[in-house]
Amino acid sequence: MTAPVSERGPAPVQPIVPTVDEAPGLSPVPWSHRHLLDVDILTWDEIELVLRTADAMREVLARPIPRVPALRGRSVTILFYEASTRTRVSFEVAAKNLSADVVNISSASSSVAKGESLVDTVRTVEALGADMLVLRHPVSGAPHLAAEVFGGSVLNGGDGWHAHPTQALLDLYTMRQRLGSLAGRKVVILGDVLHSRVARSNVWSLTAAGADLWLCGPAPLLRGFGAWGPAAGFTVTTSIDEALHDADAVMALRIQRERMAAGLLPSLREYAARYGLTRERLALARPDALVLHPGPMNEGVEIAADVAAGAQSAITEQVRNGVAIRMALLYLLAGVTR
Amino acid sequence: MTAEPLAAYAVVGEVLADLEISAAWLVDPMSGREGAADIVVRAGIVETVTWLDGDDTGAAGQGGIIVAPGFIDLHAHFREPGNEDAETIASGSAAAAHGGFTTVCLMPNTTPPLDEPGVLARVQAAATASGSPVRVLAYGCVSAGRAGEQLAAIGELADAGVVGFSDDGSPTRSAAVLRSALEYAGALGLPIVEHTEDLAMTEGAEANEGLVATMLGLRGWPASAEASAVGRALAILAEVVREVPGPRLHLTHLSTRSALELVRRARATGLPVTCDVTPHHLALTDAWIAGSRSWAWEDGDERAAAPFDASLRVNPPLRTPDDAAACLEALLDGTACAIATDHAPHTSVDKHVEFGQAVNGISGIETALGVVLAAVDAGRLPLRRAIEALTTGPAGVLGARLGRAVGIVEGETAELVVFDRADRWTVSSEALASKGKNSPLIGRELPGRVLVTVAQGRVAYLAE
Repeated sequence: MTAPVSERGPAPVQPIVPTVDEAPGLSPVPWSHRHLLDVDILTWDEIELVLRTADAMREVLARPIPRVPALRGRSVTILFYEASTRTRVSFEVAAKNLSADVVNISSASSSVAKGESLVDTVRTVEALGADMLVLRHPVSGAPHLAAEVFGGSVLNGGDGWHAHPTQALLDLYTMRQRLGSLAGRKVVILGDVLHSRVARSNVWSLTAAGADLWLCGPAPLLRGFGAWGPAAGFTVTTSIDEALHDADAVMALRIQRERMAAGLLPSLREYAARYGLTRERLALARPDALVLHPGPMNEGVEIAADVAAGAQSAITEQVRNGVAIRMALLYLLAGVTR
Repeated sequence: MTAEPLAAYAVVGEVLADLEISAAWLVDPMSGREGAADIVVRAGIVETVTWLDGDDTGAAGQGGIIVAPGFIDLHAHFREPGNEDAETIASGSAAAAHGGFTTVCLMPNTTPPLDEPGVLARVQAAATASGSPVRVLAYGCVSAGRAGEQLAAIGELADAGVVGFSDDGSPTRSAAVLRSALEYAGALGLPIVEHTEDLAMTEGAEANEGLVATMLGLRGWPASAEASAVGRALAILAEVVREVPGPRLHLTHLSTRSALELVRRARATGLPVTCDVTPHHLALTDAWIAGSRSWAWEDGDERAAAPFDASLRVNPPLRTPDDAAACLEALLDGTACAIATDHAPHTSVDKHVEFGQAVNGISGIETALGVVLAAVDAGRLPLRRAIEALTTGPAGVLGARLGRAVGIVEGETAELVVFDRADRWTVSSEALASKGKNSPLIGRELPGRVLVTVAQGRVAYLAE
C-alpha cells in the first residue's frame, strides 16, 4: 500500500474550486473516484480538492437558506447497519442541503433483520433508484463488497475497525482551520486505537498532511500498530506524558465497556486514571493545542467534561464541518456518475 | 501424448481399456526414480513400464507430459451428509479426479458428524452410487458429536474402516479427551489428525495478526494460537508414548513458522508426529486480502485486486511470506510429509458476504496441483518432492488403511495421473467440477493441466 503524496510538494498554481451552485460534473474538477471507501486511495491533491470544496460548502451553509440544487433529482440512500446518530444525521443533512432525495434505511427496520444479505440489499436499493449509497457497517471491508455490486457510488460511512474516511477528512479540515498547515505539527490520537476506524483513516490523511503523528494508549489497544508505524511514519507509545508533550492537537477516542469483557483492560476506572484527557494532562501540550473527539463521548472516562467543553475544544466544530465535508464528497462523487 | 485419441474410447467410471503413453516423464516416488518412460495400460492393468535412455527419450522432460501415481488427499470436506448444497460425494469425487487425486480422506464434520459407523455407511454408499472410481476414505470424530467432551465410538469406527480420527473444523476441545484418543486409537494403530488452534485466542479472528490485518482493521489471528495448540498436543503425545505403544499424531494444515519448528524439534527427539501443509498456505499470503495476487515468493503489485475478497477467509488464516516460506522449508526437509488440500467448498450464500461474516474455507482440490507446480516452476520445490508430498507422504500417514501400494507397477491395477506441465488452464466457476466456487484463484491461469486420472483401473477424469 502506498501513502498519498505529501503536501510538501509544489502547490498547484491555480487551485480549482468547484462551482457548487451548479450540477456536479459540468465544470471539470480533477476527481475520478466513483466510490470513496477510504482515504488511502486519495492523492494529496485530491484531499486538497475535498477541503476546498468543503470551503465552498461552508459558504453555502452560511447562507440564510443553506441549500443548493446541485443534486436535484439524485437519490441518496443511507444504509446503516450500526446505531449512529451524528453520522447518519450529518449525511442526511448534507444530502438534503444539496437537494438530493434521501432514503434512510437502518438495519432494524428492514429485511436486514430477517437475514437478507448485503449483496441482495444493495441490489434492491439500486433497483429502487438509488444513485448513491452511504453505508455504515460493523464488518471491516463491507463497503468494498457493496461497491462490487452497486452501479452507482458508494460512500463509506464507517466500516468495522477499518475506515471512516469522512471523519478523517472532517478532522483534517477542522485542524487546518485552526492550525493552518499541519506539516511538522504534532498530532496525538489517544485511546482505543486497535478498534478504531477513525484512527486508521486518520493515519492516512494526517501522514499525508505531513503531521508528526503519535498514537498513544494502553499496549493491548495498540496491538499491531508498532509494526505499522515505522512504515507509515507515525510514532506509537504507551506513555501519555511523552505523547502529549508539546502537542498541537489531541484527539481522544471512545473507549467501550466490551474491552474489559474481552480481557484487554482491567477497568474503565483504571483507564480514566491512566489515559483520560484531563485538564492537568492537557497542560503538557502547547497552550493553544486543539482538542478533538469523533464522538460519542464518555465524559469523565476518555475525556474530562471541562476539557470537552473548554476553550481549546473543537468538538462542536467537528460536527459542523462534518456536514460541509459530506456535502463536498457527495458533490464530487456525483460528478463522476453524472 | 494428447488426450484426444483417448476420448474416443474411454468413458469416466469405466475400466480404462487402452492407454499408451510414449516418452513421457514418469515420476515414481516409491522407487525414488524419475525419467523418460513409455507406459502401457490395458484393461485397467499396468502392462508395461519401459524406462528410456539416450536417444529414445525424445521430447520427454520435466517440463512436458508428466505421469505420476494418483494423488492422495489427507484432508477434504465433501459436505455429505448434511450440506449437499455445498458439495456432494459425487461432485467432490469429480473435483478430486479433475485435480489428479485418486484417494481422498474426508473429514467427519458433516451433519450429523461421522461419530458412529452408521454415518460412515452412508458415506460409503454415496461413494459407490457416485460411479466415480476415486477412493473415498473417511476419518471418524475424536469426540462424540464433535463436542469435545466424550470419546466417539472409536473402536467401532475403526472396525468399520475409518482411517483415523479428527475433530477437524475445530481442535479437540478437551486436552483430556485428546490424551485418551491418542492412547485408544494408538492401540488400534490409527492416527489422531489434529486441527491445532487455541480457540481462546482466535474468537472472532478474521486474518493473520500482523501488518495486513492492522491496516485493514481485521481482527487479528495470532500465530501463537497455532503454536500453543501444537505445544499442547506434543506435550500430551510425549507422555502417551511412554505409556502406550503405537500412538500417532498427525497435525493438519500447519501454517506458521513457529508451529512447524515445534514439530521439527519433536520429530528430532523421535516423537511419532507428522504434519501436512496446504497449497494455499505455501503459496498465498495475507497480502492477498489487501489485494495482492503475487505468489508468496514473489514481489509484486500490492493492489492487483480489490481488498477483502471473502474467498480468502480460511482457517488457519493465510499468513506472512515468511510463514509460507517455512511451509516450503518443512516440505523440503521432511518436517511436513504431505500436501493436503483442506478442500472446503461453500455456497455463495455463505461466502459472497462481508469478509468477517463469511465462513472459513477455500475450494482447493482442483487447484492444488497448479499451485504446487507454480512453486516448482519458481524453483522453490523440486518436482519429485512435490509428487512425494502428494503420494507416498500421505500414504505413510494412512499406513495399511490406504489398502494399496503407491506406484506405477507392471501387473498392478492402474492408479495414476497424467498432466501437461506446459499446458495452462484458467480457473473459473465453469471449469471447477466442485460445487464450491469459493476459490481466490478464479480468473487466474495455472500451470499443469490434468489430461487423465485413473483410479482403481478405471477412468476418473478425462480432459475434454
